[in-house]
This record gives sequence, C-alpha cells and structure tokens, in this order.
Amino acid sequence: MIWESWAAFWAMGGRGLFVWGSYGVLAFAVIAELVTLKRARTSALKALHEHHEH
Amino acid sequence: MARTESQSNDKFAGSWFWRYASPAAFFPLAGKLEKLCWALAAVLAAVGLYIGFFVAPTDAQQGEVYRVIFIHVPAAWMTMVIYMAMAFWAATGLVLGTRLSFMMSHALAPTGAIMAVVALVTGSLWGRPTWGTYWVWDARLTSTLILFFLYMGYMALAASFDDKKKGDRASALIALVGAINVPIIYFSVKWWNTLHQGSSVRPGSSSMAATMLTAMMIMTFAFWFYCVAAALHRLRTDIIERERNAAWLRDTLKAASQ
Amino acid sequence: MSLRGATTAVIRRELQLFAQRKSDWANPLMFFLIVCSLFPFAVGSESEKLKLIGIGVIFVGALLAAMLSLPKLFDEDARDGSLELMLASPEPLAALILARVAALSLALGIALSAVTPVFALFYALPFDVAAMLSLNVLMAVPTLLLVGSIAAALLVSARGGAILTAVLVLPLTIPTLIFGAGAALKVLYGESPAAELALQAAFMLLALALCPLAAAAALKISTD
Repeated sequence: MIWESWAAFWAMGGRGLFVWGSYGVLAFAVIAELVTLKRARTSALKALHEHHEH
Repeated sequence: MARTESQSNDKFAGSWFWRYASPAAFFPLAGKLEKLCWALAAVLAAVGLYIGFFVAPTDAQQGEVYRVIFIHVPAAWMTMVIYMAMAFWAATGLVLGTRLSFMMSHALAPTGAIMAVVALVTGSLWGRPTWGTYWVWDARLTSTLILFFLYMGYMALAASFDDKKKGDRASALIALVGAINVPIIYFSVKWWNTLHQGSSVRPGSSSMAATMLTAMMIMTFAFWFYCVAAALHRLRTDIIERERNAAWLRDTLKAASQ
Repeated sequence: MSLRGATTAVIRRELQLFAQRKSDWANPLMFFLIVCSLFPFAVGSESEKLKLIGIGVIFVGALLAAMLSLPKLFDEDARDGSLELMLASPEPLAALILARVAALSLALGIALSAVTPVFALFYALPFDVAAMLSLNVLMAVPTLLLVGSIAAALLVSARGGAILTAVLVLPLTIPTLIFGAGAALKVLYGESPAAELALQAAFMLLALALCPLAAAAALKISTD
C-alpha cells in the first residue's frame, strides 16, 4: 500500500476535489448512459409486445 | 441504387460478412459479444483502477492529481476511435447498402459524444491544478470539442428524418464528410495553437513510470470494451424497434425468455 | 445542350434572379452590418481593444452571413418543382450544383468582401489589413458555400433545416476561419501572410473538387 492512511488516499495530496471530481463525472456519465440504455430497451420491448398483440 | 440485402446475400453466399450483415443472424451474436464485453470492461476497470491508485507511485512533478490520466486519456482516445469507427460503418453502409452498418454507426454516436464530454470535463479538472486554468485552447482539447460538435450534428441530423432509411444514408454522408475534415481541423488547430501561444506542455507525455503506463493501457482497454458493449446494446434495441414485424425476432426473444 | 452550355445557363439564370430578388443578397449584408456593430457595445469602444477583436468579428460575421443564404441553394427549387427537373436533367448533377454554388458565391462573395473594408473602419484596422481581410472573405465564402451545399442538399425542405445546417457546417469551417483571420493578423503584425493565403486557396480547391460530388449524392438521398 502506497498510502499512509485512508484519509491520505481520499485527500489525494490536497487535490482530492479534482481527482474525485473527475472520477465522479465519469461515474455519472456511465450510470446515465446505462440507465438510458435500459430505458430504451424496456420501451422498445413494450412497444414490440403491444405491436404483436394487435 | 443500393443493392438490397437479399441480392447481396445470393451473390456472396457463404461469406461470413454477409451472413452477419443480416439483423436476424447478428442479433444473437451481438448479445453474446455484449455480455463478454461488459464482463471484460468491469474486470479490466477493476484491475486498472487498482494499479492506478494502489501501485502506481506519486508523480514527481504533479503529485497525485496526475491520476486523472487513467480516465482522461482513454476517454480522449475513445472519442477519436469511435468517430473513425462510426465513419467506417457509415462508408460500409453507403457502399454495400447494408442496413446493419448504418445502425452500427447510430449505435456508436451517443457513446462517442459521452466520451468527448468525459474527456473535456476531466481535462479541465486536471488542468486547473496543473496549469492553473480550467481550459486551454490546446490542439487536443480543442479538437475533442470539435469532435463533440460533429457527434451532436450527426445525431441531430439522423433524428431529423421521419424516414429512417433516408436518415441512415444522410447521416452516413455527413459522418464521412466529418471524417475527411477531422485531420484537416486537427492540423489547422495545431498550427493556430503554436502561432498564438507557444505549445503548452502536456503532463504525462514524458517520463511516465511503467506502472502508470500499465494502468493507463488497462483502463484504455476497459473503456474500449465498455464502448463496444454499450454500442451493441443500443444496436440490439434499434433492431428490436426496426424489426417489429419480423417473425425471427419474436422467436428469438421467446427463446431467450424461456 | 453541352455541359458547358448548361452550367453557364444555370449561372446566368441564378445571377438574373439575384438581380431581381434584392433581398437575397441585401439581407445577408444587413445581417453582416448589424453583427459587426454589436460587438463594440459589448467590449467597449477603445480603438486598441477593437483592433484586436475586429478581424475575428468581421470574419465570423461574414461566415454567418454566408451561412444564412445556404437554404436559398435548393429550398425554393424544391418548392416550385425545378429541383425535380434538375435531378432529371441528363447533365451531371454535381456540375449543376457547382454552377449554382458558383453563382451564389459570385454574388454573395463579392458583396460581402466589398463591404468588409467599410466594417474594418469600425474597428480601427489599417488599410492593408482591411484589404487582406477583404481578399480572405472573398476566398472563404465559396469554401463555406461549397461545404454548406452538402448540408443544404441533405436538409432540403426539412423542418428546422436552417439551424441544423449551421450546426453541421460551422464546425467544418474552422480551418478556413483560422487561416483567413490568420492572414489578416499576420498583416497587422507586419509579417508575410503567404502561408495562410496558400492554405486558404488549398482549402478552396479541395472543397471545389470534393463538395459538389458529395452534394450531388446528398441531394439524391434527400429527394429519393
């Protein structure tokens, strides 16, 4: 382990805001994309089932 | 006029390319590939982040903030790679008339735009502590911004046609025009940049420790698999939407749910 | 009718139309004038400050003004049916499109570059810089219209076509903007603008060679 403590890990040498901010943005983007993908699939399947019933 | 797929299939019967150019054949294959890619992306991201945060040493010049590189550089690369892949499938679609190629282009574009945003935001969050400003008009950041515009234009154009076939071919053409322009824009911006403000020093370009480079490369592959998985998922959704009259789709989905 | 006869006929017809419909070129000119006079209100009227931003403002203003006339390339023809005739013509579509872009470039390019030195006065730019700017506007307008003809052809009579055309085309004009404004900047700093001018000419020729073909393909797609 290269970090002295977990606090040092989260602090990132005083640049924690920038490092974790960057990773936060990535996490947000990925989660937003996954949610959008899931929603699009659900609505496509729903439309398909409705289409087949008619 | 473009050949129809059935004609092409007769002509190239037996060739794997044409077999998988049909949505019916590609749909199950894409599903398997997608699962594999999600898994690989997750594993590689875990390994890459572990090396990046717990093995790679502190950078002598930048301290800890350089650790943004593990996501910034892969995102910037994916922005470029996805655009090229998009243009490649657009060209394939225009030349061969395969519907699936256009759908592949459409599936890639949103992920490419997201990668551009991630690259831009992480770049400016990295830039603030490193060179004191959130934004520099350096050639790489600027061309990523322009690529973002090109992605948005492509998607807006594709969405503006009610007739999907027309939208497919129109947006493919604009993707190609963009792809021809990207190198011209890149070198123009580079030239402009050196004219106006001397080349800015980008961190991470020299004297990177081997573990830093390893983490960055592993993260690049993680991003790569993530993007392929997301694109395949979007592609399969698109197939479900477009093929709602096809019997094969009903059978495939039924078989999958049992 | 020979190909040359057909293209000159198209150019002549277009120029005659421009002479009749003054709003076609007068409106972009007014737009250009207004855009150029807005900036001093925002940044202040000190001539040193204006000199620095003037070249960029004038160049971007000219590009936006040219952009506004892109829907004119095909929209009206699509409405009155002459586009169908153009598509059915035995002459190569790319040549006919080139002729129309050439006519629009002639009318608009000359008009915009003629008033550019006047606007340069607003921004306290010296005469030689104004002349260089004028020359570059003259070269940039055809480049923009050539690239823009692809988008205009794709979006013939599409809803929201004008704004989408701008979104598609403006990012592609960045090299033209860099070197067009760059040449005038070089003159302002007392250096030779030869390299910028050569590149500007190269972009124009490249656009001339490729864009009409792409626009012809685009027109076929959108009118299919």
